[in-house]
Amino acid sequence: MSLVDLMSTAKPNFELRDRILLKLGGRELVNCYQCIRCTSGCTALKLLELKPHEIVKLVNLGLVEELPSSDIIWTCVTCLKCVQRCPQKASPYHVIIALRNLAVERGAKVPEGYLKIVSQILETGLAEPPQKIVTRKMETVDRESAKLPKIKPPKQTFQATFMKAMEEK
Amino acid sequence: MARIGVYVCHCGSNIAGVVDVEKVVEYAKTLPDVVTAKHYAYMCSEPGQQLIQDDIEDHKLDRIVIATCSPRMHEETFRRAVAEAGLNPYLTEIVNLREQVSWAHTHEPEKATEKAEALVRMGVARARLLEPLEKHKIRVEKGVLVLGGGIAGIQASLDLANAGFKVYLVEKSPSIGGKMAQLDKTFPTMDCSMCILAPKMIDCAHHPNVQLLTYSEVKGVKGSVGNFKVTVLKKPRYVDEKKCTGCLICSENCPAEAQSEFDECIGVRKAIYTPFMQAVPRVPVIDKESCVECGLCEKVCPTDAVNRAQKPEEIELNVGAIVVSTGFDVFDPSAIPQYGYKRFKNVITAMELERLVCASGPTGGHLTRLSDGKIPRSIAFIQCVGSRDKRFHEYCCRVGCMVTLKQAILAREKIPGDLKIYTCFIDLRAFGKGYEEFYGRARDMDIDFVAGLPSEIHCAADGSLYFDVYDRGTNKLLEVHADLVVLGTGLVPSGDLGKISALLHAPRSADGFLLEAHPKLRPLESAMAGVFLAGVCQGPKDIPDTVAQASGAAAKVIDLLLSGEIDIEPLKAVVDKDLCSGCRICESICPFVAIEMKSELVKGEEKLTAEVVEAVCQGCGLCSSACPTGAVKIQQYDNKQVVTQVQAALAETCAEGEG
Repeated sequence: MSLVDLMSTAKPNFELRDRILLKLGGRELVNCYQCIRCTSGCTALKLLELKPHEIVKLVNLGLVEELPSSDIIWTCVTCLKCVQRCPQKASPYHVIIALRNLAVERGAKVPEGYLKIVSQILETGLAEPPQKIVTRKMETVDRESAKLPKIKPPKQTFQATFMKAMEEK
Repeated sequence: MARIGVYVCHCGSNIAGVVDVEKVVEYAKTLPDVVTAKHYAYMCSEPGQQLIQDDIEDHKLDRIVIATCSPRMHEETFRRAVAEAGLNPYLTEIVNLREQVSWAHTHEPEKATEKAEALVRMGVARARLLEPLEKHKIRVEKGVLVLGGGIAGIQASLDLANAGFKVYLVEKSPSIGGKMAQLDKTFPTMDCSMCILAPKMIDCAHHPNVQLLTYSEVKGVKGSVGNFKVTVLKKPRYVDEKKCTGCLICSENCPAEAQSEFDECIGVRKAIYTPFMQAVPRVPVIDKESCVECGLCEKVCPTDAVNRAQKPEEIELNVGAIVVSTGFDVFDPSAIPQYGYKRFKNVITAMELERLVCASGPTGGHLTRLSDGKIPRSIAFIQCVGSRDKRFHEYCCRVGCMVTLKQAILAREKIPGDLKIYTCFIDLRAFGKGYEEFYGRARDMDIDFVAGLPSEIHCAADGSLYFDVYDRGTNKLLEVHADLVVLGTGLVPSGDLGKISALLHAPRSADGFLLEAHPKLRPLESAMAGVFLAGVCQGPKDIPDTVAQASGAAAKVIDLLLSGEIDIEPLKAVVDKDLCSGCRICESICPFVAIEMKSELVKGEEKLTAEVVEAVCQGCGLCSSACPTGAVKIQQYDNKQVVTQVQAALAETCAEGEG
């Protein structure tokens, strides 16, 4: 064996890594030189300890055994800053999505929040319910006070179409 | 009947380690017209060459096939050896068994040997049809055009002028000196940049062999190696260079101001100005865009040198060679909006910092913030801005790391007392002589290195800057507050390099810089004969490398022009006038502009025919393959010679197929 992670005694799993690379369509999206811009700007880092550069590095090293079953891949909020700002046109985001898909394929438990989002979409057509925000002048504004139109519930056919699409996946 | 000798080189174990050279020799002996075939460890060595020369005499050989490394490597060597033995050097055929066989098929020795045999078979077939050729000599001009008056152009000009060549140094701005004149100190020795540059600038101006053409641009280049005709446009200075004494009373009295390009637009200059105090020549120019036409300069000039009616002037030069030393531009970081350049006043570029710390700069050498003139208490440097970035420039700018170290040390020296300095980097590259020691010196001076780049820079309500950066050294997310952020902007091809490349027919590489003729063996020349490269126009480099390349380019020019005449390779295109229909296809596709259309009267009718300018033609063969009537052929690569080679390649394969 070429490499061992002495903290966890994990060893590379190149077969699994190749499956990830296959999902990514090659090495281009993991071609990283560790400038860390992704992690420095990661929206999820401060609360959820997501370090995109670390995930990309682990994929490069083949230390991927733990990744699909790790909670950390579900903390990405998919803001896409890392994709936009990467100087090497790599994409930690795509790597994380590939890992999530792999996790689902392996029958891993999807965090409850995601299932909630699915039912939310089914009911309202929206991933997030309309929210109130606080402006710089400390005023609370919602859609109504901002004079934005009310959001209508989805059409009757939406739920059927959505379920069908889910089953096909 | 030809008498052919075949020589197979081992190249140590480079070829023989893969290819069964003895088998190839035995095979060569079976080929028709082959009189002798031998193998040897190093064919290019003295005894190897002797072996060939002896055989030419003993066996009365009239064609030589040498199966060895790439012809780019040793073709000239072997031609010379063959010529010494009394045979025409162009009766030598090189078969490439190294780059095209042993190195390409390292793990398949049997197939490699088979391929080597096929290539030797093709070489022998072609060798039979080789024709003796002679080199031509043409007379050359001994003048040299140096394009760009930065440190590269200055060094090349001085070397050439000292060797006795007439040099025309053309510079587009009002003074020579280039980017180096803008720098405060130079790494790793911390020499004052101007102190080591200014004497060279003055030497250049005073040298009897150097003609300075500042505030001038090259408009047109005609001709070819040895005989270029160059048109230079001298922009009007509105000041007579002969009358002006450089007292600069005009500048002192001028009421109109504009941003100083030399000071990176931080400071101001007058409308009649020299870019900086040590400018060479010390003759001001009037910038008509900011001039208010008050005429005061004219009135105060003690020598009547101001002439506001001056017209642009065209100058024709005849030169034998051209040295391109046009330098670079600095990357504009406003292309990366997250870093806030131009949005936040205290985010500046490395070049702007250079002017801020320079004693002759707009702040008199006091390192202060642009927003409020206060002395910063924390400075953050961010590396690789626009460099090593596939969205902008993929290459490493090669000086950024050292520039940052230098500026961090300068800041530490300039600002006494409590000052925090952070340097955010990807990799720190300190590769030159004395550079690693310089990096050590910076660490000794309490400069903090953060392994990681920030994603974005924020500006707080009070105008101070802060950013998050994840440090891979400590595995911690750090929030850095900085009074001043300096972006380590890279070097990029200068904006007018495209125009220059087109004027000179000098190709560019994928990174946008000018392309050298060979990345290792001909780094000082362009593929365009007679055009030489010095400094950053060829690719990012620091001052020592630039000076070395400039002196090297000057030496190449001396080598080319010293004897007053040059040899022209005979492997060029030739046109059969009777077959040429004057369609001009060859003229339109020739990448070297080596085809000229000549018109003559044939039986009372005007007829266009293509003519090849031998000195310019590189023998690439595009014209020959494009010619619809087969009128153009490349010497030694005519249809028959090439087709025979192809037939030899297919011969054995077909035989096997039938069997």
